[in-house]
Amino acid sequence: MKVLHTFCIVLLVFGSVSEAKFDDFEDEEDIVEYDDNDFAEFEDVMEDSVTESPQRVITTEDDEDETTVELEGPDENQEGDFEDVDTQEGDTESEPYDDEEFEGYEDKPDTSSSKNKDPITIVDVPAHLQNSWESYYLEILMVTGLLAYIMNYIIGKNKNSRLAQAWFNTHRELLESNFTLVGDDGTNKEASSTGKLNQENEHIYNLWCSGRVCCEGMLIQLRFLKRQDLLNVLARMMRPVSDQVQIKVTMNDEDMDTYVFAVGTRKALVRLQKEMQDLSEFCSDKPKSGAKYGLPDSLAILSEMGEVTDGMMDTKMVHFLTHYADKIESVHFSDQFSGPKIMQEEGQPLKLPDTKRTLLFTFNVPGSGNTYPKDMEALLPLMNMVIYSIDKAKKFRLNREGKQKADKNRARVEENFLKLTHVQRQEAAQSRREEKKRAEKERIMNEEDPEKQRRLEEAALRREQKKLEKKQMKMKQIKVKAM
Amino acid sequence: MSTNNMSDPRRPNKVLRYKPPPSECNPALDDPTPDYMDLLGMIFSMCGLMLKLKWCAWVAVYCSFISCANSRSSEDTKQMMSSFMLSISAVVMSYLQNSQPMTPPW
Repeated sequence: MKVLHTFCIVLLVFGSVSEAKFDDFEDEEDIVEYDDNDFAEFEDVMEDSVTESPQRVITTEDDEDETTVELEGPDENQEGDFEDVDTQEGDTESEPYDDEEFEGYEDKPDTSSSKNKDPITIVDVPAHLQNSWESYYLEILMVTGLLAYIMNYIIGKNKNSRLAQAWFNTHRELLESNFTLVGDDGTNKEASSTGKLNQENEHIYNLWCSGRVCCEGMLIQLRFLKRQDLLNVLARMMRPVSDQVQIKVTMNDEDMDTYVFAVGTRKALVRLQKEMQDLSEFCSDKPKSGAKYGLPDSLAILSEMGEVTDGMMDTKMVHFLTHYADKIESVHFSDQFSGPKIMQEEGQPLKLPDTKRTLLFTFNVPGSGNTYPKDMEALLPLMNMVIYSIDKAKKFRLNREGKQKADKNRARVEENFLKLTHVQRQEAAQSRREEKKRAEKERIMNEEDPEKQRRLEEAALRREQKKLEKKQMKMKQIKVKAM
Repeated sequence: MSTNNMSDPRRPNKVLRYKPPPSECNPALDDPTPDYMDLLGMIFSMCGLMLKLKWCAWVAVYCSFISCANSRSSEDTKQMMSSFMLSISAVVMSYLQNSQPMTPPW
């Protein structure tokens, strides 16, 4: 019962409130009659608002009960307000909130609510307008790359230097016991051993040894990998390459017979045969397998004649080659060594290149790039092989047959060369003669004195006639001889 | 074999001085990398300076570094230093003209 009582009371309260509102609107009805007053009222309000700053305070008609204060922009809804007033006067009884009352204000609430509804998009400030360090990320990357390059340069240079020193320390004793002069850069006045390597590059070291029987001298070149260049280091990650030791022994003319011979890995021999002048001319056959002599399959032989191979492949040499096959790239003995083929623009060089009796050795340092100083000790037996080869080259002599063959080969090569260049040599001589004639004619033309000119011309004519006569004489002599 | 007590293979009277190989065959045998990198570096630094491209200038710096690393010790250091200085000046000038961060060329 009590609940029912309270419920009824609540209902009554609500009803009275709504009635009051209706009453308000009823009051407005009354006010409708007084249109002028209303308008007057609002006119005042409007005038006030015009004089005021953009903010405007609008009060609804019923100041007693309700005041709604709203802020507006200037002149925005002035007319709308009046409309609202009119409509408010029109529809008052039916609804507590007249839609039309807020007609003019629809946009504003809508816009403000729409602003709330639309997501706020934060546009990134373009990088070129920012001032933070983060926008310079590319520059930082570049500088980091440069620093990495410099670090690698220092580390690589030091490693190469340590490897070279380790090699020299291992081999110093053997070299000093075989050569008087160990280490020379050619700049000192006296021929004294410098006792150290010449650094040609950050990855190439030279050593010149001289003062021994049989040979003029020995040039050892340590060709390390370019550990100081980061690009090279990265390239080597794709394709492993080994450090190399290249030894070139220049023999005395009387201490080596005439032959051309090479042994090494098949790949290296094919390349040498293409590149080297002497191997391409004297060893025209493909590299043969050395299995006949007990060599491993990895090694092949290029030789001028079979006798040379038989003579070279004695037990000790075979022992060296078999045991250290993985470290041997190529061994090349030649009395006609002149270096790689020179490609000249004119086609063929006009004279045969100078040859020297040479023994060349190319060894690979074990480790395939990942070399440590202690790996240099593994190369010491190979230096023993070099010394042995020097002595062997002095001892080995071709027999009569072999010598004849060798001489024939050399004569053949020279003849071929002369034939090839004959035409060119003739052309060269012809052009030289024409140049001379032209120069003389020019001299005659340039001569101002007409008398002198005439005399010079006559002299030139006489010379030419003499030449013609000589030629005719020669031809007659040849004919007589032929007969 | 060659160093027994009886015979010493050394002959002090047959000593020959070291003669550096003639420069004719050197260019063919030697690595052309430092020369190419030098040239590339100069071209890139000129592009960077003229066209105001920052990435060109940075590439020029890299090229000159690579050229220095691969150079022969007999080579003139003046050439190396000049290409290096040119590339550094290209970078500095690019940033003085426009201190905005670099945009990648792609």
